[in-house]
Amino acid sequence: MNENGFTQFSTLTVLLLLAAFYGGTYLLTLLIRKDKEDTSGFMVAGHHVGFGMGAASMTATWIWAASFYAAATSGYTYGVSGPIHYGLWGALMILFIYPFGRRFRKLAPNGHTLGELIHARHGASSQMILAVSNILGSVISLMVNFTAAGALVSVLSPLSFETGVIVAGVGVLAYTLTSGFRASVFTDFAQLVALMAIAIIIIPAVLFSAGGPSVMVEGLSRLTDEQANLFSVEAILHQGAPFFVAVLAYAIGNQTISQRLFAVREKHIKSTFVTATIGYGAIVIGLGMIGLMALSVGMEPIDGKMNNLIPQMVSTYLSPVFVALFFVLVIGSLSSTADSDLSALSTIMMADVYGKNIAGDNPSPRVMMLVGRITMIVATVAGLIFASFSLDILVMLVFVGALWGAIVFPVIVSCYWDRVTNAAFTWSVVAAMALFCIARFELLEMTGLTVLFFEVLASVGGAVVIGLMVFGFFGRAAGLVAGVVTLAAMLFFATGFLRDYMVLVASLTAYGASAVVCTAMTLFSKERFDFNLIRQRVGDYDDVEDDTHLVPEAAK
Amino acid sequence: MNNELVYGAYILVWPALTLGVLGVICWAVARDVRKAKNSDEDLL
Repeated sequence: MNENGFTQFSTLTVLLLLAAFYGGTYLLTLLIRKDKEDTSGFMVAGHHVGFGMGAASMTATWIWAASFYAAATSGYTYGVSGPIHYGLWGALMILFIYPFGRRFRKLAPNGHTLGELIHARHGASSQMILAVSNILGSVISLMVNFTAAGALVSVLSPLSFETGVIVAGVGVLAYTLTSGFRASVFTDFAQLVALMAIAIIIIPAVLFSAGGPSVMVEGLSRLTDEQANLFSVEAILHQGAPFFVAVLAYAIGNQTISQRLFAVREKHIKSTFVTATIGYGAIVIGLGMIGLMALSVGMEPIDGKMNNLIPQMVSTYLSPVFVALFFVLVIGSLSSTADSDLSALSTIMMADVYGKNIAGDNPSPRVMMLVGRITMIVATVAGLIFASFSLDILVMLVFVGALWGAIVFPVIVSCYWDRVTNAAFTWSVVAAMALFCIARFELLEMTGLTVLFFEVLASVGGAVVIGLMVFGFFGRAAGLVAGVVTLAAMLFFATGFLRDYMVLVASLTAYGASAVVCTAMTLFSKERFDFNLIRQRVGDYDDVEDDTHLVPEAAK
Repeated sequence: MNNELVYGAYILVWPALTLGVLGVICWAVARDVRKAKNSDEDLL
């Protein structure tokens, strides 16, 4: 134990653990290495990832280092319902996207990115909006995961923060560079098995080492009424609601998810995503329970930092072997997400930037592979630099979150409604971002009709979120009914009330404004799009032929 | 006693669920490996 109360490993022990993890992972990728990788394999594993590998990969990718810390923080802050309000909504992000994923796959069976589909549907401007939002998201994720590695190494060993950051960056790049997405999926499986096995052992171990359920029940007296309530309104409003709003936005805005929608065998999309939903929820909520246990036994986080809760509980109640397992758990979770981000970034640069916008009508598979690998190297270096500087990414996160919210409606309706135009897509996102900024940063005085206007837009946003979720599972009529009912309820209950939660108003405004502008412009459109063209326009790059006539007008 | 049972179950149900999902995933991957071997194809 060091002076802070954490188990302290020697430099040699931590270096051996890291070498074993990254060395073992690298050796695994040798099993699937090919003499000559093709672009389809590098980007989506040839579109034939099976159910088991697909579910493991989706679960491992969606669990990042912050998942455990945030779930435990939620358990510690909001009590018994806290871990659920973190893990459940994160899990539903995976679940709610799969009905739309099946549509994406039907429209573009040979696709690699959602941007390609939108390029075929609308052209370059809409595609680039999506691509930029995906790139920003992946770079942020990469940086956060490398930062988590640095923090963990510096807390549990004499090694510096920068050493941890560099080892994680180089380790992830080494095993992903050659085989791209195939390596990411294959190693995700191994990492998830380790991650799940450790979670299965650690959660009961902490519970019983801390005195078992009887001691925990005694400690419930420390909880406030809200913390002891499984249906705590405070937990719903502060933890659950913001996550619920983000369910569709995170899924649409994240190439790591759409890449797997295009990679898994079409018939296995549903089973893969349902299994990943349950797997993600179980692991994250389970580890979040350690935060609840910390609350029950009256533990105070060291230095008041909530991220210390899990390492503190593990260090206090378990032997150093378990702390080493926890170390592997966090390194595994952040590496599986980081390798997926590298694959996502390389695929976007290969397909969306080079394939659709630079190479013109004749993309070269060889150049494409080069672009992909260079992207991985550049992204890793950028991630390492950003992580080393410990940049404040809050503002960037705010904008990316809003951008993802703004594109949800235009992306989804573009795949179902043949009248949506490129202009409707683009201008709806631009208008939504402008209105979001006004609300989020209160650029206008939020009183009178102005704030009422934003509350109405936010109500529309709420209706869009619920309507689209219901539409995905139950079809257009049910989606419309759910949307209308939600809108009526929001207008009745939320106007005059939502203005006290301007962050939430701003987020919902992004959804609502893009939906209103996109719908209005579409209704004025006389265009009718033939969805069969998408299948023809989005193809594999390994056998490219001259198909100039298939390029949409707006893309030329 | 009942409270202890409920609290214990509330915490332990998640690792149990994780174990179930781990079993399903491993079984599915083993099946895919077998299929790939039999048809002489790559797993990925």
